[in-house]
Amino acid sequence: MKPILECQGLTKKYGNIYALSNLSLTLERGQIVGLLGLNGSGKTTLIKLINGLITSTAGQVLINGMLPGADTKKLVSYLPERSYLNDHMKVEEILSYFSDFYENFNVVHARAMLSDLDIDTHARLRTLSKGTKEKVQLVLVMSRDAELFILDEPIGGVDPAARDYILQTILTNYNENATILLSTHLITDIENMLDRVLFIQKGQLVLNATVDEIRTAKRESVDSLFREVFKC
Amino acid sequence: MLGKLLKYDLKYGSRFFILLHGILLAACILGRLLFFERLDFDAGSDIIAPYIILATSLYVLLFTAVSLGTAALLAVRFYRNLFTDEGYLSWTLPATPVEQLWAKLFSGTIWYILDILILALSLVILLSGSNLTAAYAKVAPEITEALGMPLGRYGTMLLVFTLLSSFSGTVTIYVCISIGQLFPSHRVLCAILTYFITSAVIQIVVLGLMVIFNLFPGPYINDAATETDTVQYLFTTLKLSGVINFVLTIVEYFATRYIFIRKLNLT
Amino acid sequence: MPWDLDNNRPIYLQLMERIQQDIIAGVYSPGSKLPSVRDLALEASVNPNTMQKALSELERSGLVYSQRTSGRFITEDKTMLKKIKRNLASEHIRQFFEKMTLLGYNREEILELIQEALKEE
Repeated sequence: MKPILECQGLTKKYGNIYALSNLSLTLERGQIVGLLGLNGSGKTTLIKLINGLITSTAGQVLINGMLPGADTKKLVSYLPERSYLNDHMKVEEILSYFSDFYENFNVVHARAMLSDLDIDTHARLRTLSKGTKEKVQLVLVMSRDAELFILDEPIGGVDPAARDYILQTILTNYNENATILLSTHLITDIENMLDRVLFIQKGQLVLNATVDEIRTAKRESVDSLFREVFKC
Repeated sequence: MLGKLLKYDLKYGSRFFILLHGILLAACILGRLLFFERLDFDAGSDIIAPYIILATSLYVLLFTAVSLGTAALLAVRFYRNLFTDEGYLSWTLPATPVEQLWAKLFSGTIWYILDILILALSLVILLSGSNLTAAYAKVAPEITEALGMPLGRYGTMLLVFTLLSSFSGTVTIYVCISIGQLFPSHRVLCAILTYFITSAVIQIVVLGLMVIFNLFPGPYINDAATETDTVQYLFTTLKLSGVINFVLTIVEYFATRYIFIRKLNLT
Repeated sequence: MPWDLDNNRPIYLQLMERIQQDIIAGVYSPGSKLPSVRDLALEASVNPNTMQKALSELERSGLVYSQRTSGRFITEDKTMLKKIKRNLASEHIRQFFEKMTLLGYNREEILELIQEALKEE
């Protein structure tokens, strides 16, 4: 089986600035991977390249051996760090939108999660609070039976209660054949959930190791290692 | 996939489209009942002329507004759905860039065609009152002679030509917005600039071609122009601009396609 | 309630210790079935792979055994449980002595202190 994600010499330039430079990386299936780095380190650029939202300057990214395209988008379920839903739509309409476009969208599952969260599916999105909208988006993304989940800052702006729910949701929906790539700068909260962490700095991969490897070798948490590596 | 994309594109704008054209139709029905049907063409032309001029100007304004509204609907849908935050969802649907483009082209052309048909219909509603047709009947032979054909045929030809151009109109809007997104910090401004620059360039090219093909209506060339020649001239230029439009549409389509496939850069 | 885990030691080791503790404390009785990896992982708020690793390690130590289709069970070997309990107790006592020695007490003094403490109870 081909690795779920493979980056080969991936480079992205904006003007004269390298957002990513010559990044190579292979991720196997069945793990939860933390993509860690400071703001502006290239996390979101990498994620956008995997999703085909931007085009690379050099190098390539392969998902299950394929370049980003219609076929890889069937496999990847992506939660951006912004709201990408049309505000005028009702939750119900968004559910049918997802059912229409994604064969692997499990609408029963999505409805169950929405009702757990007391979200009225007949409400228009614009009438919901920012936090609720984020939850709707997470529910949609996690209700797909995808092979690669890419979650960009899923716990960035939410309150602690919602954060716990989100983390639980991710763990509950995680299956052994899928890989979850999760970008964040709040490591402590998620450290126990991760198999592996990637440290990315100035567009380059500076560390790729499992959490327990780091703890065994360095006798410290990923969080404190992160603080060391990214010391200002 | 194309069908699904198209369905949501059409659904999105339908409310605005119906509202816009509903207002137009209502205004035309009212205009006919309250104004045009009450006109007395036997009265002296100096009495009714000011009213007709005023009403005509108002309706020209209304028609222009509705056309612009439709163009804005296409532009906003295209821009919002593909190049703003919503683009993060649109571009992660399992559709190819070419499918995305054709969904937008079809939906845009459909809106355009409906718009033109409704505009034509409202014109008919506005001007088909019995007093107007009677008044027209008196001058019909003159007009037919001037146009070289009956007014009805002339109108139909113009309608067909406009319908044919609906696709190219759609592509033009899209290519401008797509080129605009190549300049991340000034997307909208660059889209508008692209529109004006390409229109200016096209005007110059058309002018140049007209001179080359000896079509320029200057006093030296068309000294002996008669009225039928004028119509002839009109149709030749229509054909010429049709050809230019056709070539242009193909260029614009491939430019948009290229940007979709190679130059997509959502911020 | 997520399990309380240290930040600087491997997670799987801490999971092993916690489950061992629960078995000895009788949360799971000998011969009974352990919850599934997924449920345990959810309960602890950890990655299922890490929980899987902890359970495999426990299996290797013989404290739990797996039956192909029906899941993982606690050993029924009472002597083994007793031995593990004993080991754990010795470990706690060793640590206790270490700390008391650091405070400057010798063995006799420590014993006296313990007896006093017991009387006060």
